[in-house]
Amino acid sequence: MLRNHTRRDWLRAAATAVSGAYLAGTRWASATEAPAGPVALARCKTYDPGEVTPALRKMFDQLGGLGQLVNGKTVAIKINLTGSPTYRLGYEPLENTHYTHPAVIAATVQLLGMAGARRIRVLESPWATADPVEEYLLQANLEPRDILGAARNVEFENTNYLGFARKYSRLKVPSGGYVFPAFDLNHSYEDCDVFVSIAKMKEHATAGITLSMKNCFGITPCTVYGEGAGVDEPSLLPKGGRGLIHDGSRGPSKSAPQEKDPKSPRQDTWRVPRTVVDLVGARPVHLAIIEGVKTMTGGEGPWVSPYQKAVAPSVLVAGLNPVNTDAVAMAVMGFDPMADRGTPPFEQCDSTLKLAEDVGLGTRDLRRIEVIGAKIAEVRFDFAALRKQRGSMPERPLGMRG
Amino acid sequence: MRWPEGWKDPALLELLKGTAIDYLLVPKGSEFAAVRTRAQQLGIAAGDPDVAPSGVGIVKGSWPGVQWPTSGAGAGPTGVPWIDSNGWLIRLNRALHPDVAAWVDAPPPAKSLIPADSYLIAIADSAAHGGRWIVTLDAPLAKGIVARDADSLATWKRLTAAAAFFAAHQNWQEYLAVGVAGVVSDFTGDNEFFSRELLNLMGRAGLHYRILLKDRISAGSFERLRAVSYTDAAPPSPDLRRQILQFVQAGGMLIAAPIWGQVEGAPGSSPQPGYKVRAIGKGRIALADDIPADPYSWAADAAVLVSHRYDLVRFWNSGAARSFYTMSPQRKQAVVHLLFFAERGPDSATVRVAGRFRAVRGSTVDAPRIEELAMQSQGDGVEVRLPQVSQYVALELDV
Repeated sequence: MLRNHTRRDWLRAAATAVSGAYLAGTRWASATEAPAGPVALARCKTYDPGEVTPALRKMFDQLGGLGQLVNGKTVAIKINLTGSPTYRLGYEPLENTHYTHPAVIAATVQLLGMAGARRIRVLESPWATADPVEEYLLQANLEPRDILGAARNVEFENTNYLGFARKYSRLKVPSGGYVFPAFDLNHSYEDCDVFVSIAKMKEHATAGITLSMKNCFGITPCTVYGEGAGVDEPSLLPKGGRGLIHDGSRGPSKSAPQEKDPKSPRQDTWRVPRTVVDLVGARPVHLAIIEGVKTMTGGEGPWVSPYQKAVAPSVLVAGLNPVNTDAVAMAVMGFDPMADRGTPPFEQCDSTLKLAEDVGLGTRDLRRIEVIGAKIAEVRFDFAALRKQRGSMPERPLGMRG
Repeated sequence: MRWPEGWKDPALLELLKGTAIDYLLVPKGSEFAAVRTRAQQLGIAAGDPDVAPSGVGIVKGSWPGVQWPTSGAGAGPTGVPWIDSNGWLIRLNRALHPDVAAWVDAPPPAKSLIPADSYLIAIADSAAHGGRWIVTLDAPLAKGIVARDADSLATWKRLTAAAAFFAAHQNWQEYLAVGVAGVVSDFTGDNEFFSRELLNLMGRAGLHYRILLKDRISAGSFERLRAVSYTDAAPPSPDLRRQILQFVQAGGMLIAAPIWGQVEGAPGSSPQPGYKVRAIGKGRIALADDIPADPYSWAADAAVLVSHRYDLVRFWNSGAARSFYTMSPQRKQAVVHLLFFAERGPDSATVRVAGRFRAVRGSTVDAPRIEELAMQSQGDGVEVRLPQVSQYVALELDV
């Protein structure tokens, strides 16, 4: 069925996304009650703004329109610039394989601006640096002005450290949390009315897949949650990746909320999916966008395994609930969103989607999710088949762990 | 070449035939008399091991290469492997003593296994920056060559091939350094540590610099620069201040320590904490809040204050790499020296070089012309895709 949602539908869906996060804190939240919202799908073959912007505009309209959600509001957008800006898959530009493409970011910013967003902050916690995000983009050969100029009052902020605030913002996990009860984050994740996650459609060595929820793993500042985090207080500058969340070899800076149970498993395949769900609970996503115009198979970045390949699924996915949206994206990738540990792409890890569903953040059951626009079968790009062909899941790297 | 202590047989001088090695630092002692005599007969100059020949200055350098982190935190503040390079030291010596050739004394570390490619890095690191590495063999290699060991002879062959490559490109020595930032200092006295280490660390930060000696500043010194850094312990002379402010008025940026003094102009926003930015004329002054204490931070801050937008060279998939960007005096051709300090050269690395160029040629010590070189124009720069290469590549780019 292809129809445009009304603004009333949009408000209802956005409200359920937020209330889902709230309900997650209650005992009576369950998988069957987890919120279900519409998810828009579109074919998009290039990053030409002439194709990307109309495609996204149509998708947002299908979801009910952006205006009711962002008019007069401060919008924060978490993009995905994982790993070093000097690391490419072969000769492929980073934005064609594992970075959110700036054309998708700029188109979203433009549409948010046109819908009346008062202020738009584009956020990322780049690898091991407190340098401005603009500088990080330039090192990757990307042009920040394309994004800054896409609407009025657009700014970047590096959220890998304290940034422009005087103190970290403490965001609590309404459900109480699987691993962490709350997080100390850069102020930008609190100082916003609307939170958008723009992810790249990829597999992930530790979490099976990385979509709009896993993208939020990167909202944690490495000054608190990184290998070089201060022991008592956050370090001034971020160093390295988030190894301590992966392996639990140490806790975050003591000034931040500590793990609920230090005796819980130390395996990253257990910890990362749960921490992601905790983060999405603490910082609910109002608009989830997954871009798979061009991407890569075999892992989240070129450092993962020798079986990676640049591919062009030519698809965009957007929804108001990150669990619903990730579920549809998984289906587009040829995976079963109802899969759990032991089944691809979760051969060795827990399903972030199931864990999120269990705490009431959203359903992963496609029977309950209305897919608008293109049909899943029409835009399917079979990551699962490629995974089967190469006979392996992505290898878990020891060095770089975003 | 520093003649090995164990090479007492003058017949070993035959190894030097046809090579670019033309001067020997022969150990003192009568047991080397025959070596000295035979060298003279062959037309190879030989001298005291502790005395530089006329017109040469011996620079005490470090064995170039990568220092890998020994802990998870990494050797450098960002966990990036630390690179020892003598490039900055050679350039500084050439700037301080333009009429004196810089020979770099940086022997391989004792009790280490030195792969053949490490010698390539040692030679290229010096030669690319206008110096000459004093060929110094590690003891096992020297012994192996005497014993006609095949691996040792192969290493020797590779080493002499590298020396010959640079001898054949002597004209590159005339090319001028291209930079985006100028480092103004006298590089001596109270300023010696900070200013010299700053050169080293600007290279590490990927910020291409030019050395501007305080007492030799002229109208052309700031040409084509985007910024200058002033961190000396004493304030600049009135004349130097005037010249730098002229550069700022014309659109340049000054990154200065508080010793610079009061700055007028309209306040602006700073992309980097710890600096107050003022607009003056068409340019800006970024004045540090605190006296600079750490050259690493200053270099990293300068890279951001100048902005990576103006990077002259960007690398992808290069591993531990450095570059030195030079331009022919007539500005018809750029030569960009690419140095890859890991134990083997990169595969599928990409290099972006700022500038507009018609064509590119690449060469290595092993291949006078890299055939599979692909260049893609990107407006104000070109992206060059490299196949598997060894640790040194010269890119010649025609303007």
